[in-house]
Amino acid sequence: MIHPASLRERSETEASRLPPLLARAEHLAGTVLLGEHGRRRAGLGDDFWQYRPAQLGDSKRMIDHRRSARGDQQFVREREWQIAQSVMLWVDQGASMRFQSNDDLPTKADRARVLGLAVAILLVRGGERVGLTGTSLPPRRGNAQIMRLAEALTRDAPQDYAPPEHRAMIPHARAVFISDFLGDMDEVELALTKAADRGVRGVVLQVLDPSEESFPFRGRTIFESVGGTLRHETLKAGDLRSRYLDRLAERKERLAHLCRTTGWMLGLHHTGDSAQSALLWLYRALDRGTT
Amino acid sequence: MTVLGGIGFASPWLLLGLLALPILWLILRAIPPAPIRRMFPGVALLLGLKDDESVSDRTPWWLLLLRMLAVAAVIIGLAGPILNPQQERAGSGPLLMLLDASWAGATRWGDKIDLLDSHLTEAGRAGRPVAILRLSDPEPPVFQAADVWRSRLAGLQPEPWQPAQAQVDRAIEALAAVEGGFDTYWLSDGLDHDGRSDLIAALDARGALRVFQTGTEVLGLLPASYEDDAVNLTATRSADGSEREVTMLAQGRDPAGTARVLASATATFAAGETTAEAALSLPSELRARITRFEIQGQRSAGTVTLTDDSLRRREVALIAGREDREGLELLSPLHYLNQALVPTADLLDGALLDLLPANPDVIVLADVATLSDAEEEALTEWIEDGGMLLRFAGPRLAASDVSRTEEDPLMPVRLRAGGRSVGGAMSWGEPKALARFRAESPFFGLAVPDDVTVSAQVMAQPDPTLADRVIAELSDGTPLVTRKPLGQGQVVLFHVTANAEWSTLPLSGLFVEMLERLAVSSASRMPDADDLEGTTWTPVQVMDGFGSLSDAGNLGGVSGPELVTDPTGPTLRPGLYASEDRRLARNVLPAGAVLSPAAWPAGIPVEGLAIERELPLGGVLLGLALALLAVDVVASLALSGRLGPAGRATAAGLAALLLVQMAAPAQAQDDQQAADDFALAATSELVLAHVLTGDEQLDEVAQAGLRGLSDTLFFRTSVEPAAPIGIDLERDELAFFPMLYWPVTPDQPTPSSEAYAKLNAYLRSGGMILFDTRDADIARFGGASPNGRKLQQLAAPLDIPPLEPLPADHVLTRTFYLLQDFPGRHAAREVWVEAAPPDAQQIEGMPFRNLNDGVTPVVIGGNDWAAAWAVDGNGRPMLPVGSGFSGERQRELAYRFGVNLVMHVLTGNYKSDQVHVPALLDRLGQ
Repeated sequence: MIHPASLRERSETEASRLPPLLARAEHLAGTVLLGEHGRRRAGLGDDFWQYRPAQLGDSKRMIDHRRSARGDQQFVREREWQIAQSVMLWVDQGASMRFQSNDDLPTKADRARVLGLAVAILLVRGGERVGLTGTSLPPRRGNAQIMRLAEALTRDAPQDYAPPEHRAMIPHARAVFISDFLGDMDEVELALTKAADRGVRGVVLQVLDPSEESFPFRGRTIFESVGGTLRHETLKAGDLRSRYLDRLAERKERLAHLCRTTGWMLGLHHTGDSAQSALLWLYRALDRGTT
Repeated sequence: MTVLGGIGFASPWLLLGLLALPILWLILRAIPPAPIRRMFPGVALLLGLKDDESVSDRTPWWLLLLRMLAVAAVIIGLAGPILNPQQERAGSGPLLMLLDASWAGATRWGDKIDLLDSHLTEAGRAGRPVAILRLSDPEPPVFQAADVWRSRLAGLQPEPWQPAQAQVDRAIEALAAVEGGFDTYWLSDGLDHDGRSDLIAALDARGALRVFQTGTEVLGLLPASYEDDAVNLTATRSADGSEREVTMLAQGRDPAGTARVLASATATFAAGETTAEAALSLPSELRARITRFEIQGQRSAGTVTLTDDSLRRREVALIAGREDREGLELLSPLHYLNQALVPTADLLDGALLDLLPANPDVIVLADVATLSDAEEEALTEWIEDGGMLLRFAGPRLAASDVSRTEEDPLMPVRLRAGGRSVGGAMSWGEPKALARFRAESPFFGLAVPDDVTVSAQVMAQPDPTLADRVIAELSDGTPLVTRKPLGQGQVVLFHVTANAEWSTLPLSGLFVEMLERLAVSSASRMPDADDLEGTTWTPVQVMDGFGSLSDAGNLGGVSGPELVTDPTGPTLRPGLYASEDRRLARNVLPAGAVLSPAAWPAGIPVEGLAIERELPLGGVLLGLALALLAVDVVASLALSGRLGPAGRATAAGLAALLLVQMAAPAQAQDDQQAADDFALAATSELVLAHVLTGDEQLDEVAQAGLRGLSDTLFFRTSVEPAAPIGIDLERDELAFFPMLYWPVTPDQPTPSSEAYAKLNAYLRSGGMILFDTRDADIARFGGASPNGRKLQQLAAPLDIPPLEPLPADHVLTRTFYLLQDFPGRHAAREVWVEAAPPDAQQIEGMPFRNLNDGVTPVVIGGNDWAAAWAVDGNGRPMLPVGSGFSGERQRELAYRFGVNLVMHVLTGNYKSDQVHVPALLDRLGQ
């Protein structure tokens, strides 16, 4: 069990290394609230956008007299439409994430939480609203939300392979899914397609332990899932390697295919690599995905 | 015991277990290793995958082989393998171990004992009673359990002689008393000796006889002889085998008194020859120091030959009373002495006082009547130290008043005036012949030729002591030679002249023999029985079978002829014998001895000495099995992947630990390094030192004091000392320090005797110790204070000359500063230094006396100088001295004393030499 304060502290550390992430909204939606991101069109906001000639129907109060006084024509001052984006996080809290092949490596869950919260912090700094998928923690802004996120992320889920939470997706919001995606792929497919249906686009980050990629086992072995629900015994673990790797590649391919069809970004991170590179990738992915 | 391929097995049926190995191989292959339980989230991907075949991962063949080897090692190890198993020799019943036990077997005595041990072990196994009989010293054999003998093996020693007929007879007699038959193992030394065939016959009659003897030849060294200015050494051997080179060593004491090899010579036995000779040309000084010759690499009494007087050439100083008259050489008082002594002695010529420092063995005064006081004193001292004064009478002595009324210390008897003349043209009687020598005379046994006559002599006064002092007399009972002991030496007077004027004695062979008996000359050859008739010789040192000498203890004396002619044996042990002043070596091998090898009748089996030890291999094999299993554990873990990085590190650590264990730790090196560092620190700069007293505060003050003095020296003089060092008298070398400051406390430990030896060596080599009792204001020396008493106690074992209070003209008062007081923290006047020589006088016009030629070894005072000198790290005085300005002045004077002291130590009496400056200036005309 990770203490929320320490999780936040480490996430802050990770987040502090990147400039504030300015996620660019792509789409206007009903969830629009004023934020700091200019929408590059006239609307409600604080920043100046353009002067336009007053038209019929504009109330007299809207006329900008400073500009209009320079000539005979009357101008109305328009402001840039600014919105804040809602970003929903889903970090796999399942037991399969609580695995590390080596004492030197962090568990997958640990790495996933750090990355998730780091992204959340960046987004909050950028003025976005961040929450969790589902109904437990709707997107809000502010540092208090980060505390709440941190607390929510440290709750372990009981089941072995947690399915992605896809209820209560806010339409046209952004989403970040972080998991090892070793569980049921149908659930993942359901979640992603459902999200795509609602216009939610986002990033999928697969976090794997190095041993899950290399399968360095030999001899007679009984493999057990972390939660203990699954078990497989083999006499020659070495012989399984190639077939296991095939299946893993197949699963990755299916995930990539899903992402391609739904317009999500797919990333792969190993716990043996640095968290910084993963966060950088997340930052770029969110940035690019919003263009 | 079953023997397979040279290896015996105690329980060979266990080897059947090896048959199980192939089965074990199959089983080990078939049984899969225990499964490992692993957490692995990827298991979801594995579900449904089937193994290709139902056989588990095979154990690698090499691991199987390792295990097979381990099991095989266990099986073979338990079967009790023994390398070189002893073939049991047939036979039962009592067993006699017969040893020659002579010097000839001493060199390989260890092999013999080993062989004996293995025979005894074997006999013990077979339950045979054993008796051991040494032929060289036979005792009735006692048959008892072999183990009893084994415990006594270490006590068996070879004797330094060959078994003689008498001993063999005794052995045969003792064996005849044994009832029943017995087998015999004869451990022969390889040399023939008397009665051997009888013994063989006797033993053969009682049971089987086997002989064990070494195949190597026996070496011997014949007594050294001195001829043609060279020592001739002859080695001999028992077999005329191939060419062989032997090195002969001359052992003796070097001038420092330590035994060492003084010279060596190499002799070569030509093929087919049994003797080899070498000549050793040595200066007589060196030759006289040789105590024994031996053959290198041999360890038996037969390869050692002791030296006696025959190698030693005595130094004889000849002094005549009157000048030689040219052309009358035969009348010279020294002519016959010269003739008699030249072959066997080194003659010295010169003035008496010049000769005495050369410490000759004998001084001959031929017709010398009076000696000067100085000569007489020196001569008396020399005699009392063991010299021998041989005087001859003559006209001068007869005419003088020497020893007339009072016995002269350098004359054995009082003399009547004038002497007497018998058988001359103007006298009545016939010339007198010599009487036979009496039993207590050193000449006893010498034949008196009839043609020796005495026609004139000096007469002894009848005194109560006269009878004891006469060692030769004329047929009418008048003394001819008298002798008296003086100190450790003796004075001998021949009452006739040393030339043929008064008697024919110097013309006869008796004269030479008498001189030999008196140890004036030494025989150049081994004396024969006739020469030694009537003498009794007591052993001084005797040899054991290995050729090492030991004190003779209470062994009885031997008569002269026996000493030369009898074979060595229990009653005549080889060694060094002494009679009066003469020494005679009785060696194992006499001159001309021949070593004949033992020959055995054809029917008797002869075996060599070499034995192959039984070597049980079981322990080694079981250990190997354990090691293999340990390797197997690591290998299995590594194979099954359970050996994580930590495990790997542990395994590597274990291996490294094993390696490190093998490397010997080098503690001694550290000590050496520390000593070297100390020496470097003490010698790279001049360093003042103080003795550590164990009182921490006092040592600190002493250190600070010497630091203050060192700083002062540095600033004011060209002496630039490094930081002072506190030394531990027990541990540290003192030679590096010009002076030691030794503060005295009542409770400091007294140094050990080794430390005192170091201190004395230090003082003798010019070191100086400044003793400071630090109580000058209360005690004024003596036993009045505990410090003073402690000082007396500390200094008692030191080699310190007489002391006196520092005189006003001592060089310490002017080596750098002109001082008359030597205050420290206290301002007492008395400082004690080495006393001036009693004859030191002040020369007219000179400011001071010319005193000691050197540095006073000790300076003793009580002014607590270190406290006055002491400065802290910043150079500020640590302790107050006096009060106000006068106190500072006192501190300044203390520093000046310190500077003077160090200058005195470093420059000696250089300033004292300035006493000559006025004279030098005067001579230069200035």
